[in-house]
Amino acid sequence: MSIDTKFIGKTYPAHTYEVGKEKIKEYAKAIKNHDPHYLDDDFAKKSKYGTIIAPPTFAVVFGAHLIEPVFTDKELNLNMAMLVHGEQELEFFEVVKPGDSITTTAKISDIKNKEKLDVISVQLHSKNQHGKDVSSGIYTFVVRK
Amino acid sequence: MAVDKGQIFTGSEKVDKYRAIYYAGASGDYNPIHIDPEFGKMVGLGGAILQGLCTLAFTAKVVTDWTGDPGRLKKIKCRFSAPVIMEDTISVQGNVTDVQAGRAKVELKVVNQAGAEVLQKVEAEVDA
Repeated sequence: MSIDTKFIGKTYPAHTYEVGKEKIKEYAKAIKNHDPHYLDDDFAKKSKYGTIIAPPTFAVVFGAHLIEPVFTDKELNLNMAMLVHGEQELEFFEVVKPGDSITTTAKISDIKNKEKLDVISVQLHSKNQHGKDVSSGIYTFVVRK
Repeated sequence: MAVDKGQIFTGSEKVDKYRAIYYAGASGDYNPIHIDPEFGKMVGLGGAILQGLCTLAFTAKVVTDWTGDPGRLKKIKCRFSAPVIMEDTISVQGNVTDVQAGRAKVELKVVNQAGAEVLQKVEAEVDA
């Protein structure tokens, strides 16, 4: 069954994510990125940022809290066994630091029905506790039929 | 570091046997297609495949290693064109195609050990 295009524009409740230093380090190690900006407290203190920062793609860690409600949306009813990640866009503004409180919103920006698959895009936008833009992203998933 | 049009940089990453499990733990993406080879086979993927966003993170690392400052990466995008499986080696080559108004555009080629493009339309922008 195709994904109904009437869901284009549907929004999901905002989620606020508290950034922890150890989570940043865990993520950096998981992506095999041992850049001292992420892992070395002494280096980070002397860097231009004055503290540990998160890898740019850490945006998908707080972003995941907005993708999950899309995946579990009963109305949308995505066939998760047939879903794969199709495309990804990420844009970065402010760097992410431990202690940041990042609020993300999401909406379904596009749905396309094709013969053998459906394509659904979700647009995310994140701001920090200072009201500054942190990142935005477009997550595009393909659901094989 | 100054960035000029025509500059080329490279990097690579080995996808070790348990990488998808580490990535699942750190990212929260526990989709069974990534951590359960039997499930992967059942849905026609031939086994467990690495999370696409992990491949993209490897690619972003090659860019930020090159700039030396992670804060200079401003944009990255890709299409996930072929599955990455455990024990693959991913090679990345970046090519600065344009520098304008303090922003450099970079096109990237991301291939596995067989030369197949696992990501396509890979583009990044960095502060020049």
